[in-house]
Order: sequence, then structure tokens, then C-alpha cells
Amino acid sequence: MLWVDKYRPKTLDKVIVHEDVAQNLQKLVSAGDCPHLLFYGPSGSGKKTLIMALLRQIFGPSADKVKVENKIWKVDAGPRTIDVELTTLSSTNHVELSPSDAGFQDRYVVQEIIKEMAKNRPIDTKGKKGFKVLVLNEVDKLSREAQHSLRRTMEKYSASCRLILCSNSSSKVTEAVRSRCLNVRINAPMEEEIVNVLDFIAKKEGLQLPQGFAARIAEKSNRNLRRAVLTFETCRVQQYPFTNNQAIPPMDWEQYLSEIASDIMKEQSPKRLFEVRGKLYELLTNCIPPEIILKRLLFELLKKLDSELKHEVSHWAAYYEHRMRLGQKAIFHLEAFVAKFMSIYKSFLISTFG
Amino acid sequence: MSDIRKWFMKQHDKGTGNGSMSKNSAPEKPSAEKSPPGNLVQEGQETAGRRKTSKYFATNKVKAKEEKVEEVSAKRKAQNAGGSSSVNEKPPAAKRIHKAEDDDDFVLPASAMGSRGATPAKKSASGSGRGSARKYVISDESDDDLKDTKSDPKPTGRGRGGRAAQTGGKGIPLDESDDDASADKDTKSGGRGRGGKGPSAAPSGGRGRGGGGRGGFMNFGERKDPPHKGEKEVPEGAPNCLAGLTFVISGTLDSLEREEAEDLIKRHGGRVTGSVSKKTNYLLCDEDIEGRKSSKAKELGTAFLTEDGLFDMIRSSKKSKSATQPESKKSVATVVSPAKRNSQNTSDGTGSTATKILAAKELTPSASPAKRKGQAKESSLPWTEKYRPKAIVDIIGNKSLVEQIQRWLESWDEHFLNAASKGKGKKQNDSGAKKAVLLSGMPGIGKTTSAKVVSQLLGFQTIEVNASDSRGKADSKIEKGIGGSTANSIKELVSNESLGANIGRLHHQKTVLIMDEVDGMSAGDRGGVADLIASIKLSKIPIICICNDRYSQKLKSLVNYCLPIVFRKPTKQQMAKRLKQVANAEGLQVNEIALEELAERVGGDMRMALNQLQYMSLSKSVIQYDDIRQRLLSSSKDEDISPFKAVELLFDFNAKNLKIDRRIDLSMSDPDLVPLLIQENYLNYKPSSVGKDDDGLKRMSLIAHAADSIANGDLINVQIRRYQQWQLSPAGCLSSCIIPASLLHGQRQTLEQGERNFNRFGGWLGKNSTMGKNYRILEDLHVHLLASRESYLGRANLRLDYFTLLTKKLTDPLKLLPKDEAVENVVDFMDSYSISQDDFDNIVEISKFKGHPNPLDGIQPVVKAALTRAYNKGSKSRVIRTADLISLPGIKKAPKKRVAAMLEPLDEGLAEENGEAIAEDEENSSEPEDIDVEKKLESDLQSLNSKGIQVNVDLKGAGGKKPSAGRGRGSSSSREKGGAESSSKRGGRGSGATKRKR
Repeated sequence: MLWVDKYRPKTLDKVIVHEDVAQNLQKLVSAGDCPHLLFYGPSGSGKKTLIMALLRQIFGPSADKVKVENKIWKVDAGPRTIDVELTTLSSTNHVELSPSDAGFQDRYVVQEIIKEMAKNRPIDTKGKKGFKVLVLNEVDKLSREAQHSLRRTMEKYSASCRLILCSNSSSKVTEAVRSRCLNVRINAPMEEEIVNVLDFIAKKEGLQLPQGFAARIAEKSNRNLRRAVLTFETCRVQQYPFTNNQAIPPMDWEQYLSEIASDIMKEQSPKRLFEVRGKLYELLTNCIPPEIILKRLLFELLKKLDSELKHEVSHWAAYYEHRMRLGQKAIFHLEAFVAKFMSIYKSFLISTFG
Repeated sequence: MSDIRKWFMKQHDKGTGNGSMSKNSAPEKPSAEKSPPGNLVQEGQETAGRRKTSKYFATNKVKAKEEKVEEVSAKRKAQNAGGSSSVNEKPPAAKRIHKAEDDDDFVLPASAMGSRGATPAKKSASGSGRGSARKYVISDESDDDLKDTKSDPKPTGRGRGGRAAQTGGKGIPLDESDDDASADKDTKSGGRGRGGKGPSAAPSGGRGRGGGGRGGFMNFGERKDPPHKGEKEVPEGAPNCLAGLTFVISGTLDSLEREEAEDLIKRHGGRVTGSVSKKTNYLLCDEDIEGRKSSKAKELGTAFLTEDGLFDMIRSSKKSKSATQPESKKSVATVVSPAKRNSQNTSDGTGSTATKILAAKELTPSASPAKRKGQAKESSLPWTEKYRPKAIVDIIGNKSLVEQIQRWLESWDEHFLNAASKGKGKKQNDSGAKKAVLLSGMPGIGKTTSAKVVSQLLGFQTIEVNASDSRGKADSKIEKGIGGSTANSIKELVSNESLGANIGRLHHQKTVLIMDEVDGMSAGDRGGVADLIASIKLSKIPIICICNDRYSQKLKSLVNYCLPIVFRKPTKQQMAKRLKQVANAEGLQVNEIALEELAERVGGDMRMALNQLQYMSLSKSVIQYDDIRQRLLSSSKDEDISPFKAVELLFDFNAKNLKIDRRIDLSMSDPDLVPLLIQENYLNYKPSSVGKDDDGLKRMSLIAHAADSIANGDLINVQIRRYQQWQLSPAGCLSSCIIPASLLHGQRQTLEQGERNFNRFGGWLGKNSTMGKNYRILEDLHVHLLASRESYLGRANLRLDYFTLLTKKLTDPLKLLPKDEAVENVVDFMDSYSISQDDFDNIVEISKFKGHPNPLDGIQPVVKAALTRAYNKGSKSRVIRTADLISLPGIKKAPKKRVAAMLEPLDEGLAEENGEAIAEDEENSSEPEDIDVEKKLESDLQSLNSKGIQVNVDLKGAGGKKPSAGRGRGSSSSREKGGAESSSKRGGRGSGATKRKR
């Protein structure tokens, strides 16, 4: 089993990183009930871990007895019926799902499926804990319509159902939904915390972990704990015993992106743009989300860029990211950004170096 | 048709309304011009005359004016004693024409001019040959004069005319002729009829230059670009200077693309053929590439001509032509008396083609409304009807087929009727004989006409049934003779001898049934074809079936009963010949090259060609190659245009000349595909709008613009598709197609080595579907991982964070460790995350990047095979933990529900076999309560299993330990059972896999 999963804290009291949050949550559910919750924070900060631990806290071990189900829901949408395919992860007391998987039909997921689930009150033999928890992932990716439908559901079925929402950014969750939840912000762990976790794992695994190396992993992970642990294990697979200046292998796609960035920096021509398009397609077909591509590409470019251009380039990246979310064909926007960058950079080069 | 004609005539009238001003001034001018003697006078007269024509004397005043002119000419004649051809002037118009017959083309205008009273000297000169310098000057003077008089009616006209004469005498003709062109344009707005050939040559030449410019016409992959592409100025010459000459183009020319050269030659009346033959006059090539053409040409002694030679030829013609310009103008200007016109029309028989050409040349469409009207009356029929072939010889092309029909029809009676009376058996064996024929071929090539003509020739009475008649299956009642729908009358007709063949066996009227458009038997004609076949079987009259598509599904059965005759397109020469006849008969002047072009453009459809010709005849009486090109260029927009073609046009080097409407039409020709093609290919174009761009900076910024605009188009598209904002679709196509194309249109260049220089198909579609497939695969994997219940990761995180490590974990041991250890290692890992063999491949597939080493590189095939074996072996004793497609009994359709099955078959197997014992065993390894639940769940599971649903349930606490324990324990006892089960499940998985692929 991977270390990330192996050393994931199972209960709230075993949490290392967000101890304070964990304690608060423990107190919150000690009475056996809880309000709607919205967990938000960057990826790899421990939201999911906390949520699962919280569920275990509320429902006990039965929260672990989950089954995965992937089924197609038939939803009446006005004149026609729509098939919505959705994967759910459910135990007797909770259902976890990602409504945004349904794309622009997420509205129907919220209106029909979630409502349907929320309506049915679980039958508990012991007569207590008469509510069920819906865990919704990636709420920030829900469309506006879906979020509007959501707030009605939250109120109407509050007697029988609690929603735990999980998202990366609270700003993309509408005000109305946010105000109906207890917002829990999960920070990205500090690098020292990450080092602590790595130490903890190393100790458990019986490995010698040089401090400098741990720090480098932590730094490289961009304060993403999951990535740090995964990288740590990758390094372990690659080379043991560790040395302080051991190479830390980058993620495959990050490496590819940095190659693209250097391609772009080296030459600005239609031919190069065409090649870059091919590589971007490669990333997209390998299931790398376009937003991540754009963001990472910007970082890679900024690394190599003269400071006077940084502002402008960042502006355009933001501009195209915004439009990418409005649009549908991500490659168009990625390409537009690259073309823009090439145009800017080229004129910069020519004006500076002639 | 006649309505349209009238409508057009009204326009002319309006035009004359415009021209009424000039009419007023016209009479004055002659008077003014009459007084001064000498050359000046002549010129003045010429211009006056010309002016009149160019202002199209549409109304009855024509006559009056003509008289005046004739007076003038009379006077002039007196002045110019030497005018040899001026003798011709006096006789009435009709006579004039006959005279003209004798002359060749060039003389004709001269004589016409003479008739009107042009300088005789000039006339004779022009008659003798192409322009001398002097003539040139004169012509220019007259042109200039013309311009002046036009711009400012009488007095200045004369004065400046004088000046013009002087300057002309000094020999500064060129700029003036330019002026002249511009002046003429003004006049042309009204005087559409060849205001003058000369000026028209100038604009056409200009067009030529525009078209020829830098020559981004179309680059074929293999052919080299001309070395001096676009560097030479393409000359413009007299429209018919190459008439009668045949060219063959070979190799790469110096500055012209092949298409441009072809265009140039055709525009000047030459003919371009594909291969060298005896008739070829010139082989046009700049380098001797020793090809087949050149060797053949040497063999035949064909002259070689370089591009420069061609240019010189054209240029030299221009000089002489410019000399003839005024003449031709004058010829047009000739005010032909209506009487003469009529004589022309009526004297079809008398006039040779030459006459007709002359007549046509003289015709300004507006010049004789009277005649037009007359024509309109007599030919209210569309030309397609009017000139429908009436005899077999009139039918163009397919001669042998027509004869075949004829033979068939002739022999029909004896074959079938008489045979029928004698005895069927024998005749039926006659292989060639079928009771019906099936004519097939594309529309407009004369199938129906042939059928009719042949029938008429043989004295058959034709009954035509086409798609406008109901042709459904006859009701059975009506077969008995009750009249009703046509179908029944057909049957009646066909079977009833009394109606057809049987009325008196002597010299009865024979009948033939023409079933037109049989492939058009549609929903309304249910059973039509079957009924037709039945009719054919019992028919006592010949039946001719006509269809467009012989291979149509509907006609499959019919074909067996018919003699198939496939009509082919007539060649363009054949068509041009016939079109020429028609044009002559209608008094339309068209040269053969233009007609061939027309024939080619309509794709062999004679009917369409005639319609086009008639339509054009309404607005022009002289039709040039360019007119046809343009006309059909604009009419072709009504046809289907492929997205590739559309993109090509949008990106064409000269795309800036496209109108926005046209661009919208092009991009709307396929609003889904065109933007994708644009997006795919816009990088390949070298924008023609930027001038010097050494560092490519301008191009880059244009590309950035275009990319931005394409991205805009995507946003709009989302609005359209998601929110049904269809009113945005013009905006969408503007930003996704038109703007990028207009920024970057130019010459296409290749970006990759070995790429063909054609627009690629939009890559997005393919990539998008690959992406979709990979996301589904990823989702499957995600479900499997979730099912292992070791992790709760999200899908995106799975790809972003886990994949690197997963790939490493799965492949590195295989590369580094010894085989057995590695395999065990990997299989264990796969088990712990319930990764199946398929998933293994998928992970590798998705984390593969082009240009990066494949993660599987360096793994020995032996090891890989061992892994597969080990996995399969393990799967016998292992739990199938993965979620897969399971088909539910009784549901034929693909399973709607996928259930994660995390069965622990060992437990299951054991539970089945010796449930209690194991439960006790397990108490050792796990908590008692867990066991209870587990057992309960297992029983649930079994009940579900019996319903055919696979479900799984697992206990977290026990899960970690059980597999190992179970495996060890159950290895002997439950192997068979597990094996059986697993194989059945593997089947399920297999189906899942196929599903996915779909």
C-alpha cells in the first residue's frame, strides 16, 4: 500500500497536521449532530482526510463499510429524460459523490439525485443518528445553476440530511451556499509540518531520512502534503539510502510542461507554436486538467522570464484562464495564451536585443 | 422566363432614362462636330456616335439618331473621299451586314464603324492588319475626345478634342488611354453594351493582374513554385488575340502558376489542352524537363514557347488591339436600325455564322429594345425547351446509346408483341431482349430528351409519367378496370391492348411509356417499383425508365428487368459546340473558349448550361470568358461546398477580395467543421497582408490575434450550444473563422517535414475523443482504487499526484529486480489497490508522453509475460475486487448499473463450503462484531448473487489481513470454485472492456 494511504490518520485524534481543526471538529460532533460543513483549502492539505475522520467520529466504524457504485440515473428534465452517470461511494450513513462529474448537467444531479438521497431518511435500528451525510466533492466546479438548486435542498431537508461540501476555493462557491454552512478552512500545511510528517513516516518505516532531504521534498511539494508523501515514496523506490542532495523526480506531467516552457522560450515561430499545440494536446489527452496546465505553464515561464514582462504575462494567463472556464475547448485558450506569450516575448526580445 | 426578361428590360429603360440627358446632348454634338473639318470632325463624330451607343439608344429615338448619324456619316464620307469601306455606309443596314460577312473579325468592326462614319482611312488600315503606331495615336485621340465630350458636353469637347489630337500626334497615347478607361467606366455604368472593347480589355486585364499577382492560387504538393513567382507583370492583351491557338503547358513556368497561365490563355481566347497532339500550336514551357510532353512535341514539331514569349504575344496583340479599340467601340456604337436587327433575326438561314457574330457584336442589348421585345415574344420559352433537340442529330453525346435505344424500340414490336402471339418461350431466351430500358445518368444530359426524340422519330406516341404523378401501387380493385389513380392507368395502359398497340393492327398509333424519375418514387408511391416491374412483365408497349442513380437501393429489383443504358456526360467540346449554336441563334456573342469553360463549370449538365447562358444573355450580349468565370463563381455558392474548400477559399491568397457575405456563407457551409479546420490550419499560412516581415514578428502578433479570436469563437459557441443563443451564430462564425482567416490569409506553407501542403483535418475532434476515452479509463481506474478502499482520492488527484508513483511502483520492480521477486512484488501491489491487468496497461498508456521514454521500455517481454501469468494465476485464488460491468438477467441492454464488486471469493467459497468453521477461524483474526456483520453481508451478497447482481461488501477492519490469510488457507479447498467464478467474472470484465472501447 502506498504510504499516503497507509499513514493517513483514520481518526480525528490521530491527526498530526491540522490538530486544532481536528479538535474543534471533534467537539462539534460530540453531541452527535453537526451543521452543514464546507471544507475549503488547497489541494493536498487534508480536507478529505479530515472529512473521513469526521465521519468515523460520527458514525463509528460503519463509515468505513463503503461500496462503490457507478450507475446511470434517469432524470426528467422537462420534455426529455437525461441519463446521468455518476459514481457514488456510500455507506449506510453517508453518500459521497462528485456532482461536477456530470458536466453541465450537474444541475440535474443536484436537483434530482441529491434531493432524492436527502429525502430518504436512513432507518437506524437504534433510533439515534437519524440523519445521513452527503459529501459533495469539488463544489467549486459546480455550475451556478447547480449551486442555486443546492441551497434550497440544504434548507428543506436539513432535518434528515447534512451536507459536507469540499472544495478548493471558497470564492467559487456562491455566497448563499457558504452562508448556510460552517466554513472550515484547511490551510496548506507549512513546510515544517510536512517535514514532521515525513519524519513520522520515515520512523514508522524505519528509514533514515536526512533533514535537508526532507526539507527539499517539502519545498518541492509546494506545500502539498499528499504530493510530498508520494514524492517521498517515489524517492524511496528510486534510491535508498537517501542522500541529502538526491535528485527529486518531478511529476511526469510537470516535467513535460517545463519542456514545453523551454520550447516556447527558445523559439517563437508558427512552427514552434504548432509543436507546442501538439504537446499541449498530449497533456490534455493524458487527463491533465487544462487549468493546471495553464497555471503550471505560467510558473515555468515566469521562472525564466525577465521581470518586466512578468506582470503582463501573468495578466494574460489570468485572462485566458478565465475564458477557458467560460469556454469549452480548452486547447483554443491554451494556444491563444501561448501565441500571445510568443508575440509579447518576441517583440521584447527584438526591442531589447535587436 | 419572359417575365424576367421584361424585368431586365425595364432596367434598360431606366438606363435610358438616365441616358436621356445624353440623348439631349447627343443631337447637339453632332451638329457641333459637323462644322469643323478634317480629322477633328471625324473624331468628334466618332465620339458622338459612340456616345450614343454607349448611352444605349434604347428607345425609338434610336432611329432618329441613327438618321442623324447617317447624315453625319454621309457628310463625312464626302469629306473623306479615300474611304474605301465608306462605300458600305450608305446602303441600308441589312446590306451592310452582308458586306460584313466577307470580312474577318477584325474588319467587321471596321466596316460597322464605317457604316456609321468612321475614318475610312483608319478602317482600311485596321482591315489590313493590326495597329500601326499611327492608328494607335488616333485611337487614343478619339478615346480622349470621347472622354472629354462625355465629361463636359459640347463646347469643351471640341476644344479638348483638338488638344487631344495634338498630343496624340506627338505620340503620348498611354496615359490618355488610361484616362479613357476611366472615362469609359463612367459611361459604362449606363452603356453597358460593349462601350468599347478596348476599355473593357483594360479592366479585365486589371482583374487578371489581381488574380495573377503573386500567385497564391493553389499549391500542389509536388510541383515547385515558379522561380520568379509574381515578379513579372502579366500582360493584358486583346481578348481574342490567342483565338484558335492551342497550348499545352508543361513543367514549371518562370513566374506564373500553371493555373494562372491557363487562365491567362483562356482569357485571351486560346485553348489549353492536357497533352500534345497534332493540333497543338505551342508547348508552353520554360525549362525542358524532357518529359513526355516535350518529347512528343519535338516529334510532332510543335513550337516551343516560353512564358516570356507568351507575354510578348499577348502584349503585341494589345498594341494592335488598342488600335482597333475605337473601332470596336464604334462598331458597338453603330446605331443599327431596328429593321436591320429584325432582318438578322429572321435571316437565320441566310446569315452565316460570321454574320451572326457580327450582328451580335453590334448588338448593344439596349440598342434595340424593339428587337428584344420581339425576341422575348417569340422566345418566351426557356432555352432549354426552345432548343430541345428535335432530331437525333441534335442530341449531343451518347450517340451510340441513342442508337441503341432506337434499335431496341424498333425491334420491340417484333420481339414481344409478335413473339407473344407466336409463342413466348423462344423469345424469352433471347438474352439481349428486355421489355424495358433503364436510362441512367446525371441530370441535364438529355436522357428524357433522347427518349422522346427517339420515340417520336419512330412514330411512337409518348406517354410520360414522372414524379409529379402518383405512381403508387395500384389497388387490386382497379386492376379490374375501374379507373383511378395514374398508377392504375399505367397498368391499364400497359396491359390494355386496345388502348395501345391493339387498336387495329394496321397503321395504328404506337405508344411508348416513359417513366421518368423512377428513382424518385418515394414514400408517396408505395410499392411503385414493384408495381412497375409487374407492369413491365405484362406490358404490351415498350417502357423506358429514366433515373439518375442506377445503383440506388430502390431500383435494385428494377434493374433486373431492364436493359441498362448509362448516359455519360458529353464532352465540353460537344457542349460548347451546341451552346454556340444556341448562342448564335439567339444573337449572343460568346467565344468557344468561354463556352467550354461554361460547360466545364456546370459539370456536363447541358440544361444548367443553357439556363445560365440564357440568364446571362439578359444582361449582356457579348459574353466573355471572364464573365462566365465570375458568373459561375458567384452561382457556385448555391452549391454544396466542402468545408475544406471553404477553408481554402477563406485562406486564399486573394481572400481579401471576398465579400463578407461570401465569407459568412463559406464559414456557415459547415458551422461545426469549418472553425475546427481553421483552427487546425491557421498557423500554416503566411499572411499576405504583412509586407516585409523578416523576423516574423508581425506574423506572430497576427497569430496571437487570430488565436484570441478563435478562443472568442469558442466562448460564443458555448453560449450558442448551452444556452441556445442562436442569434449569436453570425458573431460566432465571424470570430472563429472570418477574423482569423482574414488576418492570416496568404500562402500556405508546411510546418512539418514531409507534410503535404493541404489543409489538415481538424485535430481537435480526434484529440477530444481520445481525451474522453482516457477520462473514462481513468474513471474506471479511480473506481477500482476506491473499491480497494485504501484511498479516497479524487480523480484529478489520481492523475496528477498518484500516477508518477503508481507507474514507478508498477514498472520499476520489473526492470530492476529479479523476475520472480519483481512479479510477486508487482502483483501484490496491484492486489492491494485492486488494479487489474487492464488497469496496468491503462496507467502506462495514460502516463505515456510523446517524446518521452515509454515506462514499459526496458521490461523484458519474458518478465511481462510472467507478470500476466502470475496475475492470472493469482486471480484464480484472488478476490475479484474490481467494479465491472455486470449484466443483469432479463435485461438485454447493456447493464445500467455498475456495482463495485469487492468480493473476497475465498471467504465466499469457504463460507459456502463450510461456513461455520471459517467463521470461527476468522474470529481469531478479526473482531467478533465484524465477523457478524461480515456474515450478514455475505448472506446478503449471496442472495444478491442469486439475482445475478454482484455486489460487494467488505469489512474494513478485516480487509487488510484477510486476503493473505484467506489465500493461504483456501488454496486447495476453493481453488476450483474460485477459478470457475473468476472465469465467469472475467467474462464480465471482458464485456466491460469492449464497452469501453466503443
